[in-house]
Amino acid sequence: MRLVLENISHRYGNVEVLEGISLEVKEGEIVAIIGPSGCGKSTLLRLAGGLEKPGGGRILQEGAPPANSLNPLTYIFQDFALLPWRTVRGNIALVLEDHKLASDQRKAIIEDVLSRTSLLDFAHAYPRQLSGGMKQRVAIARALSVRPAIMLMDEPLSALDAQTRALLMEDFVGLWRREQFSALYVTHNLQEAVQLGHRIVVLSRRPGRVREIIEIDIPVEERASRAVELERHSRHLWQLMRDEARAADRELLDAANG
Amino acid sequence: MSIIKTYTRRVVMAGLGATMFLGGIAESVQAADKIKVGALRFTSHSASFVAYERGYFKKNGLDVEFKFFSAAAPMAVAIASGDIDFGVTAITGGLINLANKNAVKIIGGALHEEKGIDGSAILASAKAYEAGLTSPAKLGGHSFGITQTGSSFHYMAGRIAAKEGIPMSQIRLKPLMKVGAIIGALKTGQIDAWVIVPHIAKALAKSGKVKIIGWVNDYAPDYQVTTVTTSVKNVTQNKDMVKRFLKAFAQGAADFNAALVDKTAGEAVATDMVRLVHKYVYASRPYEKAAPSIRNGAMRLNKGAWLDVASIKSQLDWFKAQGLVNKDITIDQLVDTSFTAAK
Amino acid sequence: MPPTDKKQVPFRGGGFAPKKVRFAGLAVFAVILILWELGTRSGFITPLVLPKPSEAFGALVELVRSGLLVKHLSASLVRLIAGWSLGVSLGVALGIAIGLFSLARSGLAPLVSALFPIPKIALLPLFVIWFGIDEGSKIATILFGTLFPTVIATYSGIDNVDRSLIRMGQSFGLSWASIVRKIILPGAMPAILAGFRISASIAIILLVAAEMIGAEYGIGAYILMAGSLMQTDQLLAGVAILSGIGLIAAWGIGRAEAWFLKWR
Repeated sequence: MRLVLENISHRYGNVEVLEGISLEVKEGEIVAIIGPSGCGKSTLLRLAGGLEKPGGGRILQEGAPPANSLNPLTYIFQDFALLPWRTVRGNIALVLEDHKLASDQRKAIIEDVLSRTSLLDFAHAYPRQLSGGMKQRVAIARALSVRPAIMLMDEPLSALDAQTRALLMEDFVGLWRREQFSALYVTHNLQEAVQLGHRIVVLSRRPGRVREIIEIDIPVEERASRAVELERHSRHLWQLMRDEARAADRELLDAANG
Repeated sequence: MSIIKTYTRRVVMAGLGATMFLGGIAESVQAADKIKVGALRFTSHSASFVAYERGYFKKNGLDVEFKFFSAAAPMAVAIASGDIDFGVTAITGGLINLANKNAVKIIGGALHEEKGIDGSAILASAKAYEAGLTSPAKLGGHSFGITQTGSSFHYMAGRIAAKEGIPMSQIRLKPLMKVGAIIGALKTGQIDAWVIVPHIAKALAKSGKVKIIGWVNDYAPDYQVTTVTTSVKNVTQNKDMVKRFLKAFAQGAADFNAALVDKTAGEAVATDMVRLVHKYVYASRPYEKAAPSIRNGAMRLNKGAWLDVASIKSQLDWFKAQGLVNKDITIDQLVDTSFTAAK
Repeated sequence: MPPTDKKQVPFRGGGFAPKKVRFAGLAVFAVILILWELGTRSGFITPLVLPKPSEAFGALVELVRSGLLVKHLSASLVRLIAGWSLGVSLGVALGIAIGLFSLARSGLAPLVSALFPIPKIALLPLFVIWFGIDEGSKIATILFGTLFPTVIATYSGIDNVDRSLIRMGQSFGLSWASIVRKIILPGAMPAILAGFRISASIAIILLVAAEMIGAEYGIGAYILMAGSLMQTDQLLAGVAILSGIGLIAAWGIGRAEAWFLKWR
């Protein structure tokens, strides 16, 4: 299944947030969207998964999702969005309860995603007992449990400290190597984008437009060991972004976020 | 609280006395005692109003200020707390218990039921009347409105029940706090029966929603309804002042009886009296409307403020029997008969 | 270099963190009771001002012995439980409606704000006409007294549920009913339970007012009777029972909070 965005534009009141954005996510491909704050990248992600209606343009699923996919477009949120009154297991069960599944089937899915994210020992813990990194792992396990066709990841590492971020990034890479999932990955962090994205979409700020799309031809799993080549991409991206980032930095905080 | 109050009052009085003496303006005429008298805006409180309006209090060296209440029960508490000096109130459980705490005493009589004069009437709601409550003998199993437990309404219900041989447990007493609330409940049939003074009873009967089914006279013929009450402190320390108050009060009562109860003084005096009372009772209604109610509500006020000790004794016994007051209290603790004639 | 002038850095942190001292509360109670008893025994406090605590206790014992306590307590508890549980269940239902539906919010929220501050005691005579002088008006007084704070607690609780959790539920394709039942209600639960705590106190306060009219039995009626008879020992015994009911209610809600909010 592919996700295609056609000429998307959007505005909040008088503020134009997005304008004429077209891009697609192919099967097994991670598309990173990067841009300074206020470029509307989070809005774009909400539009992509149907949580908001675009002001103009179309969002299309091309091709059928895999037969066993319960929720083809699945989000991973920056703030984890775990229910504090449910345990790790309960949080994963939540998204399966509305689907017609036999209880042993449901149990098997939960066991499976817990083991894939190394969370088996924490199945009965409450979110308040977990570190930020663990919480995000739970959110990933929850996303995996509904077998998404495409993951919509909204700055999944931004709320974490640098070490945890590095660890989770390794997890993502490992996960992708095994599962070859597709994703739209929104971030403002250059390193994340170049480490994970097959293609990197750079947005300009207000209104957000596609400034450039960069392909990185280094296989995702090899990137850690080919840092020098990657650095070339990073530098190029930074050139594209720095003026906009500076302007964003000097802006008064009165406009809509995201 | 009362301790502090007396203390300051005494200090002030002493101070005043001293300055007057030093200033050389001390005269043989004693300065008038400033006293506070509690009253309800009822015709039965007219003795005080007359004594005030006709200067009987002044003549007896009393500078009276009225404090108006909306129910009798708080008046007893106000006497106990020293907020007022005299009050005219029905004998209630609260009053007796305050006497037991050595705070108040009954010193004279005011309103008295008397055969031949319309007294309080026994009422039934039209609904209950149609369902068969046509005489007080049938009160068993019916609800009966009272203001509070231990109020005079409670007592009257008890007297009626006793004479009719109905156990008190069969009468469902409904405390409704205020006379207005009882009237509303009776009119709408929420309660079945009640007892009230004649002018209210007659007005209610006229509306058709309430029937008069009997008279309290027939059950408690010599009922001392209200009494003059003061604090134990006044009885023991200001005997002279208490005497002067009762003298003025009795004079007011005599005027009232002559004008409106015995009607021996002629129509002109009666009209004068109604006008006087109207200043205090039904003052918000025009005179023409108020006058008949005032005349209808005129009940005998005790001559010379004499006290029907026998009636008070039987009231006290009933309150004791009902377990509403301490069993150890004696009639001497409740009543001081040294100020007026007592029977 | 040899150290010359050595001085320990003075400690200036600490404080501002009151800890629980065991039995301190009990001790304060005991000291007040003892002073009070001594004061009344010595005559420094006259019986008119306050009865002896032992007399109030005696009145309580007498109430138990005569079997009237059961009658008064059961009458009051029926009113309290019926009025409060009807009030809060209606209140939670209305609060959910206002919290979830635009029409209910626009239509009912102003009405609730308008009716909330009305003292329900003032409406008692009307309640008597509407619901009858017996249990109806008493239960209605407590019902209406507890209804509005519960409505407000519930819908403000719902308003404060983390929107990102609701968005998460939608993004996983949860049904509307699931989102309400599994996300919104548990999220509003702390506020709803805090509302219960307040409404339970209000119910007890209103009990006395409700039993002002036409009550033969009930703790409130007992207190009012003691007041009108100036039997201050019985009055205090009744007040002690009321505060006992209050303590038990608070404890019960505390247990409910511990159970429902164990995730906190």
